[in-house]
Amino acid sequence: MKTYFLELRQIAHSRLAVGAVVLLALLSALSVWTGLHAVNQQRATLERIAASHAHDHAAILATQLRAVSKTGSAEAGAVGYYLPHLTVNPPSPLAFAAIGGRDLQPSALRVRILGLQSQLYESESINPELAMPGRFDFAFVLVYLTPLFVIALMHDLVSSEREAGRLRLLASLPKGAADTWRRRVGLRYGLLWLAALLPLAVGAFIAGAGVTGFGQIALVATLYLAFWFGLAAWVAARARTSAGSAAILLASLVGLTMILPTLADAGIARLSPVSKGVELALAQRQAVHSAWDVPKMETFEKFFRTHPEWKDTAPVTGRFHWKWYYAMHQAGDDAVAPSVAQYRASMMAREDWTARAGLLLASVNVQVLLHRLADTDLASQLAYHDRIGAYHTQLRQFFYPYLFEERPFTPSDAAKLPVYDGSAMKGTLATGQLLALAVLALLLLAAGLRTLRTVR
Amino acid sequence: MSVFQALPAVAVGEWRAMLRNQVAVAAGILMLALTLVAIVVSHERVGTVNAERARFQSTVDAQWANQPDRHPHRVVHYGHYVFRPLSPLAFFDFGVDPFTGSTLFLEGHRQNSANFSDAAQSSVLLRFGQLTPAFVLQVLTPLLIVFLAFGSVARERERGQLRLQIVQGVRGATLLLGKLAAHAGVALLLGAPAFIALVAIAVVHPAVAAEAIALLAGYALYLLVWVVAAVLVSASLPRARDALLALVAGWIVTAILLPRVMPDVAAGDVGRPSRIETEVAIHERLAAIGDSHNPDDPYFNAFRARTLQHYGVTRVEDLPVNYSGLLMAEGERMTSALFDEFMRADYARQTAESAIVHSASVASPLIALRRMSTALSGTNLDSHARFLLEGERYRYAFVQRLNGLHVNVVTPTGAGDERIDKHHWEDTPRFGYAPALFAEVAARHAWPAFALLGSWLLALFAIGGWIAKRLERNPA
Repeated sequence: MKTYFLELRQIAHSRLAVGAVVLLALLSALSVWTGLHAVNQQRATLERIAASHAHDHAAILATQLRAVSKTGSAEAGAVGYYLPHLTVNPPSPLAFAAIGGRDLQPSALRVRILGLQSQLYESESINPELAMPGRFDFAFVLVYLTPLFVIALMHDLVSSEREAGRLRLLASLPKGAADTWRRRVGLRYGLLWLAALLPLAVGAFIAGAGVTGFGQIALVATLYLAFWFGLAAWVAARARTSAGSAAILLASLVGLTMILPTLADAGIARLSPVSKGVELALAQRQAVHSAWDVPKMETFEKFFRTHPEWKDTAPVTGRFHWKWYYAMHQAGDDAVAPSVAQYRASMMAREDWTARAGLLLASVNVQVLLHRLADTDLASQLAYHDRIGAYHTQLRQFFYPYLFEERPFTPSDAAKLPVYDGSAMKGTLATGQLLALAVLALLLLAAGLRTLRTVR
Repeated sequence: MSVFQALPAVAVGEWRAMLRNQVAVAAGILMLALTLVAIVVSHERVGTVNAERARFQSTVDAQWANQPDRHPHRVVHYGHYVFRPLSPLAFFDFGVDPFTGSTLFLEGHRQNSANFSDAAQSSVLLRFGQLTPAFVLQVLTPLLIVFLAFGSVARERERGQLRLQIVQGVRGATLLLGKLAAHAGVALLLGAPAFIALVAIAVVHPAVAAEAIALLAGYALYLLVWVVAAVLVSASLPRARDALLALVAGWIVTAILLPRVMPDVAAGDVGRPSRIETEVAIHERLAAIGDSHNPDDPYFNAFRARTLQHYGVTRVEDLPVNYSGLLMAEGERMTSALFDEFMRADYARQTAESAIVHSASVASPLIALRRMSTALSGTNLDSHARFLLEGERYRYAFVQRLNGLHVNVVTPTGAGDERIDKHHWEDTPRFGYAPALFAEVAARHAWPAFALLGSWLLALFAIGGWIAKRLERNPA
């Protein structure tokens, strides 16, 4: 214990070390603060949207139900056409730590019972110049900045002793240098761990993420720090001078966190281009609009294939009937189902390739892990699309009896409209990815500590 | 020794020292390779993107022209797609392009967002930065400059060589200028592949030559600011490692921290309504004006009276034109005016946000450079807004053209399911818009950035003059 205290005093004497630890704590706190702020803004926006939607919804419903006074009921088809329904995707408790795609993706979407595929991809009106540089969240500080501090504290671990002429003395100590090195590495590790994670713990507490939420992020951070401490120990043991060690470590940092990931991104963009979404939208438009030019029975046949329960309802003879209109929209959605599957597959392929890159690149892996934990990645967006789809189906099925059985739509029916469940989803810990990170980090840490033992 | 002999001697000495440092040479070669890869990869990517958008555009143009006989109002709802083409310089700096959709669906009564942005469909990897020449020159090259130059003066001071040189009669200013010249040469070498690419683009596409040359000058100025800052910090701190620490800290703050934190500040300060809120607000304004479906609506009753008077008849049935077409046209005029109003208000808010971010360019040359770089590459907020506004103008024009057909070609007394001949679709003009003028873009974005980078450089030189005079006068 006493030796640890002495080592700590030695670190405290170094302006660089103290400055580094304090600066990291400040940056981590700043990132937690901006993350919490951004998430609070998203929640406030969702509240404003809910209020504004409620107002709009009530007004539209009132207009549609005004017909009630004359005929006793409104036209369900017209109600369905005009009435929007709100779906929301509130941030998870951990979203503050890794904002991910949440600043680009719409966190609320209104759907009508028309074709879903023409409504699902509406984008939020973001300011692209604000989105461009990326967020300053905890994930960013951990992945890109923490390694810099590891380098600052570790690059002259050995060479400073060598340059001060104490290295031989250290090696000749009775307990050997190995313990000393391990103690010193451990102490620096602990200091940076605290500096990075204490602000996060406070943030997790404020955000109500719980001990588990914090613990999961802390686990990822612990492994990532182990990766860098292992690498830094290895380089520090091998390099002749402090400057050489610093240069090699910085080159590794730039290579591993900036150059290789951007190369990987460029490669993924080549392997799996993003144009499938546009193709889907074009196909959907053709499918729906050509239906106006084909006999109504053709459209109904397509619709009955997926909705046989309405097969035996009265055929449409006139120029227009709402049930034909909605059957047309649904048949349009069904027609593009293969394109939808392709589109989703292309997005998931990008996600999978990123995860694969992460098996080798710790920096990528940590981002994948954290964004999955925070439920702010592409998978989260697709899951939200699934929930919107399920709700859209629920709404359609609510309206179909009114349309196909020509039931009147009354104010009491409007009260029975399905309501979207707007509770926040929780992220998951990708165990395979975590295992890969653990293996990589612990191997490197072991290698680093072993190499330190051989220092002469 | 005269200045003319001493200065090159200092520079050559510095180059020799750099060449001896194997790590530095390896890093330099790697950076050159990376710039080359970035140029090739992003140039190819922009080519693919443009080819794809052109293909989509010709597909939808053909689909539009090949529509069967339809009621014009059906065509209003069928709508049209337009795709934003990229400027030839977009390969240099993707700017906001990955964050904005490039696909605009234009239809009647509605204003849709630009959908399917790359970033919204990609994994989180994209958010650190894309491998473009701009990214390499803005973020990575300064870091390398810092590494090559942090010890330029401080290391000689540590070894006592600096005092020796001063005693031998080399003036401080000469010494600093020599070091500056050496590192400026290296920085220009590091930027050379990108600069050559810019010159090549200027030759191949004379239309963007002015932009390309301005970009070249801007990036050269930016790298020079880093060189001067690095040498001066090295000259003013006692030890090389202190200089490295200060410079890396400066890099973190100006190249990483400020560009990422300022957007949060701006978003918090300005506050913009979400798309749904805007939609509801527009809807409310429209409802307040009038409801064309309501037979007792005062606004549309007045409109009917005006129309009847114009044609000198007393009943809608007696009108020589299609009244429901007139109603559509009037409705479109009203909604479009509102769309336009809301769009411009939102654009003003976004510009205000961007201005807050730009205000930090006083502390971060990167923000100044990025503003110029995205503007000249045609990939900034303005160029996206230009696409949206032009798209909206085009939308209004073709919808009103279709409403005109509804008014004049469709039988006034029909049941509403008449179809008109398909040759009308082919007559619709195609979407196209001219790029912004260089003078305008430069006045708005490039000259202010040049002024800022220039001021940085002047300030640094002024400080440098002061440092040079004091060099090794007060022994630390």
